[in-house]
Amino acid sequence: MNSTFLFISGLTLGAGAILGTVVIAGAQLTTPGPFTATQAEAGQTIYGRSCYACHEAGGEAGQLIGPAFINNWRSRTTQDLFRRVKDTMPLDNPGSLSDADTASIVAFLLEKNGASPGTTPFTSATAVQVGTIVIGDTSNVLRADGGQTRSGSPSAAGRAANGADAMRRGMAPLVTGITVSGMVNKYTAVTEEMMEHPPASDWLMHYQNYLGWSHSPLKQINVKNVRNLQLRWAWSLDDGERQQITPLVHDGVMFVSVNVDNKVQALNAKTGDLIWENSLGPRLIGVENATRTMALYGNHLFYPATDATLYALDARNGHIDWKIKFSNFGEDKIGGLMIADGKLIAGLGRCDEPVAEDRCFIAAYDVNDGHQIWKFWTVAYSGEPGGDTWGTMADGTRAGADAWIAGTYDPKLKLVYWGTGQAKSGKNGIGDKLFANATIAIDVETGKLKWYYLPAPDEGLDLDEVFEKVLVDEGPQNILLTAGKKGILWKLDRTNGRFLDYVPTVFQNVFTSIDRRTGRATYRSDILNPQPGVPRTSCPAQSGGHNWPASSYVPEDDLIILPLEQICVMARNMTGNYEAPASDGYLGRLSAYYAKTLKPAWTLQQRAPFLTSSMTTAGGIGFVGDWDRTFRAFDVKTGKTLWKTRLGTTAQGFPVSYSVDGEQFIAVPTGYLGGSPEVRPDTILDLERNRPTVGHAIYVFALPEKQ
Amino acid sequence: MLNPKRDRTTAKLSCRPLRAAVIFALVCSPAFASQKYQTDIGPTPRDGRNSANVQGRGAAQATLNGSNFTVHGTFAGLAGAATDAHLCMGNVMGGTGPSIYDLKITKAQKGEFGGAVTLTSDQVLALNAGRIYVLLNSQTAPHGNLWGWFQPGHLVAKPDVPQDGNWYIPNILTEQGVPPS
Repeated sequence: MNSTFLFISGLTLGAGAILGTVVIAGAQLTTPGPFTATQAEAGQTIYGRSCYACHEAGGEAGQLIGPAFINNWRSRTTQDLFRRVKDTMPLDNPGSLSDADTASIVAFLLEKNGASPGTTPFTSATAVQVGTIVIGDTSNVLRADGGQTRSGSPSAAGRAANGADAMRRGMAPLVTGITVSGMVNKYTAVTEEMMEHPPASDWLMHYQNYLGWSHSPLKQINVKNVRNLQLRWAWSLDDGERQQITPLVHDGVMFVSVNVDNKVQALNAKTGDLIWENSLGPRLIGVENATRTMALYGNHLFYPATDATLYALDARNGHIDWKIKFSNFGEDKIGGLMIADGKLIAGLGRCDEPVAEDRCFIAAYDVNDGHQIWKFWTVAYSGEPGGDTWGTMADGTRAGADAWIAGTYDPKLKLVYWGTGQAKSGKNGIGDKLFANATIAIDVETGKLKWYYLPAPDEGLDLDEVFEKVLVDEGPQNILLTAGKKGILWKLDRTNGRFLDYVPTVFQNVFTSIDRRTGRATYRSDILNPQPGVPRTSCPAQSGGHNWPASSYVPEDDLIILPLEQICVMARNMTGNYEAPASDGYLGRLSAYYAKTLKPAWTLQQRAPFLTSSMTTAGGIGFVGDWDRTFRAFDVKTGKTLWKTRLGTTAQGFPVSYSVDGEQFIAVPTGYLGGSPEVRPDTILDLERNRPTVGHAIYVFALPEKQ
Repeated sequence: MLNPKRDRTTAKLSCRPLRAAVIFALVCSPAFASQKYQTDIGPTPRDGRNSANVQGRGAAQATLNGSNFTVHGTFAGLAGAATDAHLCMGNVMGGTGPSIYDLKITKAQKGEFGGAVTLTSDQVLALNAGRIYVLLNSQTAPHGNLWGWFQPGHLVAKPDVPQDGNWYIPNILTEQGVPPS
């Protein structure tokens, strides 16, 4: 049966449309899908109970209705989809869905993505190419529900859909290549010496230094004069999709990137003038992805495109020197990116399908030509160290352990420290599933594992322990501090991974005990053994606790300062996000702890969560931005706000500080789309705050210019 | 260890001052001093579809005297009139569980709620573990509109005002590997 459908604007559907159907302009469907209407209807109920909390109200998992689904599944079969759901979902208890329930969910997803029900029931054996059932030109697909399934009230979500999608509809096809030619006049090649001792005027890498401090040695701006900060310049970035970048600065040049169309730009860091621009492409449509890190070394700027292509650009003019395809599978992306020991090291993210082709890893590459030097698989297979920790699971069915956050490096120990996400297949109780949900130390020269630390196996709530590994020396002791989504700040000996101490930084109720000797934690019994249909709480929610907005370390005061969120989630039946107990309605928390003792120094709470990293300077001030567009400077010793301003939209990404011609600048990116740290607060704050749904940009502040 | 013959007499004679001491200790022990509890009450879970129905905010204070638990709270901003309120006992702090007592409530979009109940020993333990919560239902959210888990009395932070040192964070962790009751 061929049909032609009218293109329907999201504006016309209004508040009544929930989980609306995607319609495609001028599309012609082929045959009815191999499922029944009864199955699809049952699937909607099951999806709402078991899947909605993460996929639609959460933001940390791919949205399954719309362009992202079509892009990802067009060439694959319905049987692949069945197995994906059956073997890996729900995340906290993979394999627990019956065949009948799984078939119903598949039927629901196919229908909601444009397939028509037929008379033949869907079964586990049904293998039809998805693209023959759901077809369309994804560049022009508009979520006909006005984006309501994303989050928030109909008006807010509709505005979001209209803002970004309307712009995409009006956009000309992306022109790729050098779109603005230019040359950086004076550019000093970045050396290993510079990386180990970064010039104070630069922000050479994601965390400012190898140790993960996000701390600038500059002190021209200090507690006394920060109140005089003024906007010096702003630079708009293309709107659409997530934007959570770290501007890099070297020799007075700021390098930024635009997520939606993989555009890389070099700006004059003093004036904001564009020097060169390379539109690498592709243009992202409805795919959950965020580029947070780039890297500088030699004369190269390394950029991880959202289609998992790793580019080496000439930092002086933006031309491509070399490129490699990091992964060809599904929605895989390049997660963390860093330079260490003169090598380019990157981790694979979104590698969460239980097939051998999608095995997660961290790898090192030659900066000059991109050839691989070593690879460390974060999912252990049989016969490898850790390979006996996945029970009886066949190698190709082991999934997860994404390396989606950039690591840190100790040049003396020659170790790089990374975190991994949780396992994404395998039932609870079969083993530690190494090296998922762990902190790992890898020999930078060989890629061999030195040690790992795993707080608890069977992490099935998406509460990753993957985030920044902050390296601090306490006299002769070399320690590593890291906080995962549960908000527990762990302290380890970074020479051998030995657990030293911990402190909870927010309320959490997923662990009931932590062994003080080993750091091994125990989950609540109902988390390890979830009962179908029984509501289950997780505090924090998948937004964390702590998440990708990184902490900063202030060496002058031995303080680690963490941006935190205080949101819980209820799954099954009573699905959704709520304020954590004892949070008193404060979703946002900024807390400082003494690294040596893990004793609390100060904490600051507010309604809106913080969505930038904490960035501190030797001037005794820190900077952080939040969901509600406020960017502030605070006294690192007390947490007192010394200055603040409102930006065009959510402050989101990694603020940096640098200097040019002796003048210090503070830069902060803004962006309004994101994963769970942005989506979950949205469901709580949607009727209180109205945020603009455009406004990706860089804002740069400085003290008043001297006359 | 008392000598059975002589010590019985000794124990009997010595029981009077001992009994008095025990009574004195029981009366004056912390278990019998009133304990203050408090909770902010905020919206029940919101998923992006129910925001308009699940609105409002409130607060509650409570006092535990022995096993007598007295609750009083206020609320405002509901989308529909409140219908009923309950004390509930969750499986964990932040988790849900059955209603254990009904509370009186103003059946309006703003008002008060409260009641005085006698807790069982298990319920007292649950209170001290942060598992007792108040749940308000309304016409627009009949299965939960506002809720909050009782915490021991503590200083509430003002927005945007830093707190020094040991601020309050509920902690359910044990460190001997024994889950809390």
